[in-house]
Amino acid sequence: MLALLSIVQLYAQNNTDTVRTIKIDVLVGLQFDLVRFNVRPGEKLNLIFSNSDDMSHNLLITKPGTRLEVVNEALKLGQKGPEMDYIPNSLSVLWSIPVVNPNQFRTLSFTAPKQEGVYPYVCTIPGHGFIMFGAMYVNADGRMPELKDDPNIPPNRKAEDNTMLSNQHSNHPLNGEPQPVKIKPLHPYTPVSPYIYRVFIYGASPAAIAVSLPGDLSYCWDAGTCKLRFAWSGGFLDNSELWKGKGDVSAKVVGNVFFRDKTQFPFSFSADNKVPKLDYKGYKLINRYPEFHYTLNGIDVYELILPKADGKGLNRTFRIPNVKSTVWFNTDQSDGVKYEALKGSWEGNRLKLTSKEARRFSIIMSVKEGGIL
Amino acid sequence: MKYKVISIYMTGMLLFTCLESIIAQITNDSYRVETIKMPDGLTSETGAVEFLPDGRLVASFTRGEVMIYNTLTREWKLFAEGLHDPLGILVISNSELLIMQRPELTRVKDTDGDGTADLYEKVTDDFGLSGNYHEFNYGPVKDKDGNLFIALNSSSGGGNIRSEVRGQINPLGRESGSKGQMFSNLPYRGWMMKLGKDGKLQPFASGFRSPNGIGFDLEGNLFATDNQGDWVGTSPLHHVQEGKFYGHPGSLVWQKGWNRGNPFLLPIPVLDSMRTRGAVLFPHGIIANSPTQPVCDNTAGKFGPFSGQLIIGEMNKERIVRVMLERVGGELQGACIPFLEGNGLRKGNNRLVFAPDGSLWIGQNSHGWLGDQGIQRIIFTGKTPADIYSMNLTEKGFDLTFTEPLEVSAATNSENFKFRHYYYKYQSKYGSDQFDIQNVPVTDIKISNDRKKVSLTLATLKSGYVYELNLGDIKTSTGNSLNNKLICYTLNKLKSSSIN
Repeated sequence: MLALLSIVQLYAQNNTDTVRTIKIDVLVGLQFDLVRFNVRPGEKLNLIFSNSDDMSHNLLITKPGTRLEVVNEALKLGQKGPEMDYIPNSLSVLWSIPVVNPNQFRTLSFTAPKQEGVYPYVCTIPGHGFIMFGAMYVNADGRMPELKDDPNIPPNRKAEDNTMLSNQHSNHPLNGEPQPVKIKPLHPYTPVSPYIYRVFIYGASPAAIAVSLPGDLSYCWDAGTCKLRFAWSGGFLDNSELWKGKGDVSAKVVGNVFFRDKTQFPFSFSADNKVPKLDYKGYKLINRYPEFHYTLNGIDVYELILPKADGKGLNRTFRIPNVKSTVWFNTDQSDGVKYEALKGSWEGNRLKLTSKEARRFSIIMSVKEGGIL
Repeated sequence: MKYKVISIYMTGMLLFTCLESIIAQITNDSYRVETIKMPDGLTSETGAVEFLPDGRLVASFTRGEVMIYNTLTREWKLFAEGLHDPLGILVISNSELLIMQRPELTRVKDTDGDGTADLYEKVTDDFGLSGNYHEFNYGPVKDKDGNLFIALNSSSGGGNIRSEVRGQINPLGRESGSKGQMFSNLPYRGWMMKLGKDGKLQPFASGFRSPNGIGFDLEGNLFATDNQGDWVGTSPLHHVQEGKFYGHPGSLVWQKGWNRGNPFLLPIPVLDSMRTRGAVLFPHGIIANSPTQPVCDNTAGKFGPFSGQLIIGEMNKERIVRVMLERVGGELQGACIPFLEGNGLRKGNNRLVFAPDGSLWIGQNSHGWLGDQGIQRIIFTGKTPADIYSMNLTEKGFDLTFTEPLEVSAATNSENFKFRHYYYKYQSKYGSDQFDIQNVPVTDIKISNDRKKVSLTLATLKSGYVYELNLGDIKTSTGNSLNNKLICYTLNKLKSSSIN
């Protein structure tokens, strides 16, 4: 009985009435997501070409070895190109899907050629055809060369690993072992801490400022909310996705977050903790460390963040030179750090500073034991 | 007939670019393209190029670097770092720049004279920011009175808004239901903004989709290009005037006193009646797919005969486009023509600036789209290009003025002037087909005594159409072929007593 079933299944698979569906979409950077696939001679196929890119694309299947010829003929259409969907009148074009606009799809039903071979598919919109292509392998035994040796796919797709290395601290050994790998530089210089990236990052507004400090400490200060949002140790950022530019992506934190602000706002000028009116002004680099400048209810505040002397926390120095009233600095027990201050008096989780004390004071934030958030 | 590519980086992408250039270009011996050697380790997706008063070039790049290039010693030097997608620079002095980045317009200044910036001061951040990847910001450019203008890209329907945004969300700025159209959930996405000398950022004009390029002409008219897509049938050049709406609906929710609900739900004829059309349309796939910064040739002849005209970059082809404008019925309209094609030029021509010596510097970018990287320079060789100087609408057709006298027999043969017209639809759908494509016969040709001006009479002239002209084998009186044989005139308005 079992044997019989398998035979039936085998026949079903070979039954030419079965239509197989192939799906091809578009990746960022003029690429088909599927760069090659295998079909049997004479197999019935249903090709769904969807376009999740934000440019328009078409898809032509050509006779073996004629991709460049077809691409060049499409170019020669010149001003007739748009109305012809960039599909040249050429015997080398076997099947074509006209221009598919972003977020649309079109389907093509066809029967694979009887003749075995490698049939290219390509987008012939001017400029696309030289890099945006793939290969349909037509043969009975499903053979295809190793991806890395396949001459019929775009060179950048021969290796599926991402070559964009993103470890900011390239000179640091990973896993305790020196890494002899050749690393593509991120910049025309080696970033030396402290340094800054303005980035999109989770846990802050889109106007975030990420700062790498010496000693593998990092923090995110948010120009959108005028406060220190979080801090971490063990690395800085992986910007590799962010820098590609396309799609909603963020910088990734490398390391462990040890502090995350939980207050409504760290400062208040009245006992009722009312959030003052915020205005971000900018930053000045002092020995490359940014000193942030913002106003709270119109009062200038300057904030400079240095690594704590033992490297296990942050030392924040505030200047509020023109303040005339008492200042409260608010903290939250669950924010991951212990606080010390040389000036002012603690009232629970709040540090109360006289206007004179608030002209210049420091807050030391130490990582709590096991303090990983 | 000679040109030299000084150096070519054979990156994977570029290899193909070069193959393509070989196919479709006419060698241009009036302009030469040079490639600038970029610093090692720089990912040179160029967001801005400008010149400092001392003659050095300043450029900004995707990964946040701002670098200065000494054109004499050919050395690069880092000026600032860490910026977020800096896509525009306005030079204040040798040590002070205004830089448009994602979160704000920033004053970047070297205050201690060590050659690198140490002050990053907010000039304005009085606009919404959602974290959507497409919220690029452009400019600033400065008018004669010292006001600054910046343009804010609409947000992409291919993305979303983050849970934490800057600014008050208005859900009406996005169509509900179908995916894909660009939107404006946060203040002034899709607007051109004006920053007055009082420091206040004010909304100036709305309806922009992706205005990657703003600039002034010599008369002080403000222009912005936009990119083909939803509500943009083909990419336009807009003459931007205060209070006007340029077509993409989302931004309307931020218009003062807006009380008409979700603008995406308004009938298209209503939106159409509100909008101002592009002064020049770049037919998609024909002239440009993604036009960028318009710069006005202010070189008084150092860059050739096109002084006062606009030169505009194109991302998707190895091409720079030229625009010639005229006032018809009180509004600017005109024609676009390829300016330089191939000849070593790369794709991704994102930012343009004229150097003090009159050469044109071009910063290239791709950023996930079609394009390239690096900086190139176009130099006028001194040989007048054989080209159309201007195309002007007349009551019966068009006057074409050439840079040089023409050989008469070909220039008066109507076979050598093949017109067709078509129009693009204003619609929510991405882009537009060409509609009502028809050949338009030339019924009469006259040439001026100096043989530089050809007056063409057309069988019909209709407003709302692009008139595409393909020239045949017309030569100058000295036997040179024309550099460009394709020109497209956007006929928004007819001359007062034109035939219909």
